[in-house]
Amino acid sequence: MTLSKISMRNAKRQTADYLIYFVTVIMAAALLYAFNGLIFSGEVRELSGHFDKLSLLIVLASVVVVCIFGWLVSYATNFMLTRRSRELGLYILIGLENEQVARLFFVENLVVGGAAFGFGLLLGNLLFQILRAVVMALFGQVYHFEFSFSLKAAALTMVYFALIYLHALRKSRKKIRTMKIYDLIYFERQNEGAVISKGTRRRWVFAASIVLGIVGTLLLMKGGIYYGILGAGLVIAFLYGFFLSFASGVPAFFEKRPARKYRGQNLLVFRTLTAKLGTMGIVMATISLLFTAMLISEGMGLFFSGLFYGRAAEDSVFDLYIGSAAEGGVSEEYLNYIEENIPVEDSLIYPIYQGESSQIMDYVKDRVDYFNFNYDRDTMIGYRDYATLREIAGYKEVELLPGQYLIHCRAYLKEIIKDYAPLVTAGGQTLNFGGIYTEHFYQDDWGVGNGKGFLIVVPDEALYGCTVRHWGYVAKTIQPVEEESYETLIETRSQLFLKRERVDENYDSVRSRAHEESENASFIAMTVFPLYFLALALLMTTATILTIQQLSEAKHYRQQFLLLRKLGMDGREMKRALLKQFALYYLMPAVPPILIGVPIIRDLASGTEPGVLIGWSSPAAIVGISVVLFFLVYAVYIAVAYLSLKRDVLPE
Amino acid sequence: MLKVKNVEKYYGSKNNVTKALDRVSFDVADGEFIAIMGASGSGKTTLLNCISTIDTVSAGEIMLDGKNIAELPTGELAKFRREQLGFVFQDFNLLDTLTIEENIGLALTLNHEGADTVKEQVEEVAGKLGIAEILGKFPYQVSGGQKQRAACARAMVAGQSLLLADEPTGALDSRASKNLLEIMEQMNRAMGATILMVTHDAYSASYAGRVLFLKDGRIFNELFRGERTRNIFYHEILDVLAVLGGDISDVI
Repeated sequence: MTLSKISMRNAKRQTADYLIYFVTVIMAAALLYAFNGLIFSGEVRELSGHFDKLSLLIVLASVVVVCIFGWLVSYATNFMLTRRSRELGLYILIGLENEQVARLFFVENLVVGGAAFGFGLLLGNLLFQILRAVVMALFGQVYHFEFSFSLKAAALTMVYFALIYLHALRKSRKKIRTMKIYDLIYFERQNEGAVISKGTRRRWVFAASIVLGIVGTLLLMKGGIYYGILGAGLVIAFLYGFFLSFASGVPAFFEKRPARKYRGQNLLVFRTLTAKLGTMGIVMATISLLFTAMLISEGMGLFFSGLFYGRAAEDSVFDLYIGSAAEGGVSEEYLNYIEENIPVEDSLIYPIYQGESSQIMDYVKDRVDYFNFNYDRDTMIGYRDYATLREIAGYKEVELLPGQYLIHCRAYLKEIIKDYAPLVTAGGQTLNFGGIYTEHFYQDDWGVGNGKGFLIVVPDEALYGCTVRHWGYVAKTIQPVEEESYETLIETRSQLFLKRERVDENYDSVRSRAHEESENASFIAMTVFPLYFLALALLMTTATILTIQQLSEAKHYRQQFLLLRKLGMDGREMKRALLKQFALYYLMPAVPPILIGVPIIRDLASGTEPGVLIGWSSPAAIVGISVVLFFLVYAVYIAVAYLSLKRDVLPE
Repeated sequence: MLKVKNVEKYYGSKNNVTKALDRVSFDVADGEFIAIMGASGSGKTTLLNCISTIDTVSAGEIMLDGKNIAELPTGELAKFRREQLGFVFQDFNLLDTLTIEENIGLALTLNHEGADTVKEQVEEVAGKLGIAEILGKFPYQVSGGQKQRAACARAMVAGQSLLLADEPTGALDSRASKNLLEIMEQMNRAMGATILMVTHDAYSASYAGRVLFLKDGRIFNELFRGERTRNIFYHEILDVLAVLGGDISDVI
């Protein structure tokens, strides 16, 4: 049998033994190909001018992802080398040269990598179609399935893969070439030797790391940038300290409490765990750290998509909106251009009035995050204009009874204003609170929108003699406003601004729904895609490392449970012990990231302008969804590992 | 205490049946030390596995303290094993993640023994078997002989009534073997342990009070030591083995 045949056979065996790793590497190739596909897709590039930036961000994210997968492949290759050192030692024993064995291992891994790359491209094409569909949906385009294979994307993925594999294999090749038979044959034993070394220093590190962890978490929960950085630093110190010393900390703990040690399955579960952690303390801490990065990337992705959606929803109520200062009103230059170039179905020019006081604004400001910017009084609108605006926006009709006023506000202010419901005076009339509505209504503009956060709707006759604060123009167009038209209107705004005498006056506000939505889609694509890409890569890598570590112990666990059966442990207890052992093993690296990640995501999500992140994108929801999504993907790996281990390990 | 009556064990499918045990019958009295000898494939380990309920018999019955172990429901088998039987294996079978103390204590933990008494009992047994000073060590830190004594301690710490040993000296050098066998003899004489030991080594067998010889799944012969010295008994065993034929190189 030739060496290449042995390599091929070993490659086949490797994919079977480390199936979950092989699948992850396929997924890695698929992910890289799909995102590269986005970079090179002409169709996607045409959607928005921002896609140059998206390409750059994806390339940057890819570099990080390549590093992460590089770590995975390097770790897994080294791990297999350790596991199979005896076999490799045997090759040398029967007369092969180190160099030949190194080549054998090299070719075997290259074959596995190549196969994963091939399958990855196939799966990547499918994944690319999904990404394409998502992008199309984001930009409101119709998606048609169209098979495409991007040579450029495949070539770039191959470059990434070559970097990943050559780095890992160069390391292992060097290792094998310089190794002696003895080292190879007793490689595992050397490793075992380091498992359980006791030491008072380790115990100290363990105790100190627990304290650091608690202090760090408290600081993180306190919030703020300095406490945050200090807290995060302490928690990282805790992670490494904890996982490095756990193996000796737990025995020390049980040594002092023998009663606990022998209770239930504690002895088995903790001893197995500490033995495992003893050899992979640093890896476990790194995994924990990567989980943290993953959780934060994912939370940021959710945060950005919530933020851009929230902003766009408020800003794109009307097909076209123009707001101008009271003096001069909405300029003829806009109106003439619109008349000539943009077919309009319905439109309205209307005044927004200055209220007599700032009572609602003041009340709200004291109770919730609220920035009044250029508004110093409450703002009002006549009922008839309001009704027309609702009709243009496609909202249902509302009624205003005599002697009453309505409030139209952003959702987050509803309860506060409803509780307050003051009497409002306008044009000499005193009006009672008559109801509140919270549909999006373009209420977050800096100076010339439909009020800042809220608008008081009063009977038209109550507005006689009131001061106009600014003017608004809205239009329902027959077709979405084209980008070119929008840009002309923006250019008109700049010209008008230059002509004005008063420098402190606001810019007019010009908004088109089509433009807002496209911007929103671009921003989401630019932030969310790279972040999710990163998050997925991080989670897959870490979960895979945990799982191959666990599954590689199957033989050892099997012997353990066979012995336990002989000693009289019943099946139910064995299942319980395995499950406990398993749950602890997978939960341990996941708990610190939750402790660190949750306060950080919450802080991040709370730092934006008020009222944007509500409902499914509220800070609490972002934190909740991040954690749930994390555990969902993690659960897939845990389930696969548990089921396969249970089948292999527990005796019939 | 143990009655093995007409036990048969077949392996294989309909067309290809191997008879591993063929109407084997013998009794073991309380406090006896019995060795079962035979060449490879003679059915020694199968017999031990059947007695230890790890394997089931095809026919016949095995009664321990009046109970037919073949009739025990699966749920009770585990309980039976941990309360009545102690095991010593050729390759020690200690869990390498546990210390020697914990390995011995494991048998008690499985019995849901009160956690506070575990340490006490382990130390007592370890003292008797001369391994008290290595209790805090891990299996890889102690010698083969010490490991095997730890396995003996585990096999009797929970007050098990029958100790089953499968080639206990198989992985030990001659000095450690002698040491272990003396300990087993002491366990049998001073502590009253009933021991059933499978071995193909005549020297090991000579420590027993009775030796059963298996050939092709049948009891071929039986030797009682009586009042003879161990040395004489050893030579008698060798004589029987010579008659048994084959595998003589296996024996010495």
